Parts: sequence; structure tokens; C-alpha cells
Amino acid sequence: MAIINYAQKVINFKVVYYGPGVAGKTANLQHIHKSLPDTSKGNMISLAAGDDRTLFFDFLPVSATTVRGFTAKFQLYTVPGQVYYNMTRKLVLRGVDGLIFVADSQWDRLKENVESFRNLEENMREYNYNLDEMPYVIQYNKRDLANIAPIEYMEFMLNRRTRQVPYFEAVAVNGDGVFDTLNTVSRMVLVGEFGQEKGEHRETA
Amino acid sequence: MAIHESDAEQINAVLTTFLGESGATEALLIDRSGQLLAMTGANRALDTVSISALAAGAFSSTGALAQLLGETEFTVLFHQGNKESMHVSTVDDQAILLAIFGERTTVGMVRLFAKEAATAIGQILAAARAKPTNRGALSEPLTAEESRTSLGEPKKP
Repeated sequence: MAIINYAQKVINFKVVYYGPGVAGKTANLQHIHKSLPDTSKGNMISLAAGDDRTLFFDFLPVSATTVRGFTAKFQLYTVPGQVYYNMTRKLVLRGVDGLIFVADSQWDRLKENVESFRNLEENMREYNYNLDEMPYVIQYNKRDLANIAPIEYMEFMLNRRTRQVPYFEAVAVNGDGVFDTLNTVSRMVLVGEFGQEKGEHRETA
Repeated sequence: MAIHESDAEQINAVLTTFLGESGATEALLIDRSGQLLAMTGANRALDTVSISALAAGAFSSTGALAQLLGETEFTVLFHQGNKESMHVSTVDDQAILLAIFGERTTVGMVRLFAKEAATAIGQILAAARAKPTNRGALSEPLTAEESRTSLGEPKKP
């Protein structure tokens, strides 16, 4: 839920990276944290288990842009991808304004992608959030690996709701596609909240 | 939701009274999604953005624990440190109140006055949510240029 603070001239948004375990959600945040100057980012927090797998969430606050005198800030979260952490995954979704679904492009991970997307739909329903109205994009990660499914196939598996959303190919560990994904979803979140002048290009595909 | 200047002033007044009565050093009003709504207290460099995200996470997981026991929620979460402690309590179903306090007061005092402050803040927030949204400068749709966020340069191939 966007929070507009007129006293501080700040607009806060919450963006959540969702997807199956080891798809690269944390790698996205790590690249963003590494790339941004200190002036436009806060501390990154990772609540991870001993094996570096996300246990609760990763958190990174970033400042994007100034809109009519207000600073737009985006709080980026990841969820734990492993199936049995659904309770904590659901908690992180609370108050979400925009979503990035990070899919693992490898053939042998297609089933996990589909299951995770279904799980997202289910958790959104439990909060009475409507995925058809929520700004979200899909990132097909790990495009540098050998055993990956073609984009058309992944689109058929994951991007087949009534509204087709923008997608990005990525190699998050190298930073490829990371900012394309984030800039697009943050733009969609801003337009979703405040609207955009008629005749302007809308990036909702 | 929107917090206007008048809401912020009222909330800050309640938080300032709370600090005076309870002896706590800082009070943070936090949305349950993890965002800081207001803060009053000692002027030191605290990472309030991280504190808010972590406290909301801890409080929500405590709530999930409560549900596993058949409770609606645990209304208070208390962390005791050597010199400083933290008390988190429910304001309403969308906000929580976090108090940081040292050795010059007790958890009992903080708990007592946090309850009073929560009631007052709950009313301010309810009124703020019920107000028609006057967005002022933000009421007109954005131009394409205004909605173009560039958080970082896309990597060139």
C-alpha cells in the first residue's frame, strides 16, 4: 500500500521479488545494492539460513526519483522461495504495491516456476489483492545457462493470464536485465498509483 | 494511505507525550507492511528504515505464531537488551508502535503508556484514512517523463 507522507514529502512503495527457490531473487537485490550510489540506497538486510538460502526476507530500500517535489522511495523485498516457507512468504506480501516474478529458465525447474506462480496467486487471493490489477513483471533469469527453455515456452507457461505483462531476460548474477526489470515495475507502480496523462505510452502491455 | 501535515502534527504530539510519560527514548509508528509512518525521540543516527522493516516482520511472524496457538494475535512483543530494550505493540490492524527505552524506565511503564498512546493514534489514523484524499500536487496524472524512474542504468550488452 503506497504511503504518501505530505509532511516529509515522501512516497513509499513496497515491491516484492517472488519466485521459486534459487531462482535469483536475492541476486537481483545484491546487484542493485552493489550498483547504486550510497545516496540512493539504504542498508541491505538478509535474513538467511546458514546455507545462504533466504529464511524470511531480504530487504533493500532505494530512492528513485522526485515526482512534483515528492521523493519516491521503493522498499524492495524478496520472499523465501522454498515451498515449505509459505507462511513467511505470505507475511512479506502484506501491503505490496508491485511484484517481480523471478523465474528460473532451466528446463528442470519449469515445474517449480509454475507451482510458485500458483502459490503467488493463492497468497494474493488470501489478502484479497487482485493480481490482474497489481503492477507486475516477469523476469526469466539464468539465460546464460545451457539447459534453458525458449522464452516463448516460458511465456506460455507463466504469462498467460488475461493481462499479459512485460517480461525481461536476465542473468542476475552479472546484472544483466536487473535494472530493466526494476525500472519497468517501478514505473508501472507510479502510473498505477497516480495515473498517466491520456495519449501517453502505458507500460502495462 | 496519505499522512497530511495536520495528521503528522497530531501523531507527533501523541508520541511526544508518550515519550515524556513512559521514559522511552524513541517512538516509531510503523505500518504493518514495514514502512515508517512517524517518529519522535532522541536525535541520534538510527537506521529507522531497517528497524521498521525488521520490526514489522518480527511482529507479523509473532502474529502467525499466535494463530498457531489459536490466539488472534500477541499484542505485545518485547526484546530485552543489556542497556536498551524494545517494546512493540498493536495500534490497530494496520499499524504498530515501537518504543526504544533504556535503564531509566521499566517495561511496565512503557507498556502502560504505549496502550494509551495506541488508542489516541488509532483514532488519528482512522480519521486520516476516512478523509477524502486530497492529493494536492499529486492529483493530476503523471506525464510520461514524470513516471520514468531510473534507479540505475541498464547494463549495456
